[in-house]
Amino acid sequence: MRKLTLASLLSATMLVSAAPTHAADVKLFRFFGDCAGDYGSVTDVSKANGECGIIQALTNKFNAENKIGAKVVTQTVDWNAYYDLLSATYTTGNIPDVAIMHRSILPNFVKRDLLTPLKGPLTKAGVDFADYVPAAADAVTVGDEAYAMPFDIHALLVHVNVDLMKKAGLVDAAGDPILPKSAAELIEQGKKFKEATGKTYIGMESDSKAAMTVRVFNSLVWQQGSDLIAPDGKKATLDTEAGSKAASLVDEMYKAGLVNKEQDYAGSEQAFLNGDTGLLFNGTWGVDNYDSQAKGGKAGLKSYKVANFPNLFGTPAAWSDSHLWTVPANPERKPEVEEAAVAFLKFLNDNNFQWARTGHLSVRKSVIASEEFKKLPHRSEYAETATIAHAFPAVQNQRAIQDVMITELTSMWLAGRTPGEALTSEQQRVDQILRRNR
Amino acid sequence: MTSARTSVAAAEMNTHTGSRRDWIVAYLFLLPFLAVYLVFLVYPLFSGFWISLHDWELVGNFREYIGFQNYRDLWADVLFWKTIRNTALFASITVPCMTALALALALAVRRPGRLYAVLRGVFFASSVFSVSVVTLVWRMVLDGDRGLLANLFRSVGIRPIGFLGEPFWAMPSLAVATLWWGVGLPMALFIAALNQIPQDIYEAAELDFASRWKVLRRITLPGIKRTFVLVLVLQIVLQFQMFGQAQLMTKGGPADQTRTIVQYIYDTGFRDWQIGYASAMAVVLFVLMFSISMVQLWLGSKED
Repeated sequence: MRKLTLASLLSATMLVSAAPTHAADVKLFRFFGDCAGDYGSVTDVSKANGECGIIQALTNKFNAENKIGAKVVTQTVDWNAYYDLLSATYTTGNIPDVAIMHRSILPNFVKRDLLTPLKGPLTKAGVDFADYVPAAADAVTVGDEAYAMPFDIHALLVHVNVDLMKKAGLVDAAGDPILPKSAAELIEQGKKFKEATGKTYIGMESDSKAAMTVRVFNSLVWQQGSDLIAPDGKKATLDTEAGSKAASLVDEMYKAGLVNKEQDYAGSEQAFLNGDTGLLFNGTWGVDNYDSQAKGGKAGLKSYKVANFPNLFGTPAAWSDSHLWTVPANPERKPEVEEAAVAFLKFLNDNNFQWARTGHLSVRKSVIASEEFKKLPHRSEYAETATIAHAFPAVQNQRAIQDVMITELTSMWLAGRTPGEALTSEQQRVDQILRRNR
Repeated sequence: MTSARTSVAAAEMNTHTGSRRDWIVAYLFLLPFLAVYLVFLVYPLFSGFWISLHDWELVGNFREYIGFQNYRDLWADVLFWKTIRNTALFASITVPCMTALALALALAVRRPGRLYAVLRGVFFASSVFSVSVVTLVWRMVLDGDRGLLANLFRSVGIRPIGFLGEPFWAMPSLAVATLWWGVGLPMALFIAALNQIPQDIYEAAELDFASRWKVLRRITLPGIKRTFVLVLVLQIVLQFQMFGQAQLMTKGGPADQTRTIVQYIYDTGFRDWQIGYASAMAVVLFVLMFSISMVQLWLGSKED
């Protein structure tokens, strides 16, 4: 038996090594999930849905249609472990040729020369940097160089159950939801909603892993014309008047029972889809899914709309980040592989509209202006988000900073800390991280 | 006479070369283990200590010798002390509970018979799962909104408890999941030890009308003392390295109440790339576990 297994293993190995190798195999490292089962052979991108489906179909299409003999080989990594594994590849030497990266992570990699400068190669391949909206161009540019290719801007939105809002009398004559215009109005409308419907006014992940808390807090600070980090990047500006107002409002939302503090991310989404939540605070990535679920008729959510994150403090602003494509630096990479990697990026850029179908905002002016983009469902409802999208200052170690902010902010409702206590501790710990940055 | 003397000398030489050959064979058999032990345990231990004397980044080329600065920083690191307290609390809940539970289960299911064989398999089965599966299952049980217990509580009209979100409940919840996951191995060790106690002692006790409690205290427990110490040491070493449960179920929250040493080491090394500082923590953790285990072993041998 063992001999048999050994023999079959050997023959399998030989089969693998005998498989035809392409002129250039491009190792693609990404999150967005693994859906090779559903979309492994789909090359018609319009038939794919969701982040995973669309990127998988785009990859298949490139592999099927490119004329340079390139083949993109995908390695999917679970989102929670993605950056740890990507970092590790630099030590193990198994460096990918193309890797997805958030804008917030880029500073760590650029500072240590871990990414291939892309402005020249991409321009040469025909990518027009002038076509990018300013926020996208900013996301990838350090000095005069671009270290990545922008793929989307994703931002915080409010997803609305219009039926519940109507029940609470929070819908205008045109049938659009009435959203609060100030902190006091938020609490007031929330109480009104709760009384009229008996349901949760705001759905938002609230467990000890809740990143949404930080996104809401950041947006509220920016809405006051303030920022989270001092311009020199050396100190946090969290324990400030703006920070205090933002944290107090979030705390108040929980104290008034407007948010269900027992919900994690999946729980908050599920409750919204079940029709148990008026407003869901979540990102652009949810639009496509919620829309199709509401249209599908099986979910408790029947009437779905989207809205820009409400301006509660005067200056419109909503948290945002971006997915970027990078080519990790690797001195041993063959020129033809790098060329194939750049060709793949160019292909993705050409198909930026397809990616925008996920709900994310397109990074290309020409796509945003196109008729097909405008025809996508709900886009007009959150068109303004493209202009109010606000990113975290470009400092290193933003993952550590975000984790500290999650711990400190969620401690308000999980551990009974006051906003003041949470902010003092948060400020001190973020300062400590910033001090380490070289 | 001469020939007799020669044969004695030859025989002596034979034994001599024989024993030398035995030694060589013994070392040859040991060699694979020693090689693996040296490469994967001894070398990393020293290499980790060496790295801990540097400001050393995981990614990129930055390396600077800073002597014991990382250890001085650790001394002043409030979060590090908190993770030590959390980990010690976790171990102080899980180690005694695990040992007691494993022993109780072993006593209950060590009997012959098909039913008990099945039960042994059932109790051992949970150890086979990976930490991601275990935490997934327990999140489904403990989730304060949609969890099994939350629904049970609601059905009898009690407000559900956010087991993973409330500071008081978070650590005990992780401990419960850990007990369910890890009880199989110590149970198996106890069953093996129990089966080695000669049956005639029990029979003699029965003839003397010894009570079951007396039998447990005077025969069973002394009979498995060495295994008891082994289980304790193994559990201490294991529970001090708790990581997956906290990372996947609470991410160290709420308010850092369940953040453990290994989780802090992981974040520092892989998220923040400060592998020098992370190594210093790892060295401290090693010393801590080593000392506790030594004390435990010493206490165990003292009573012999």
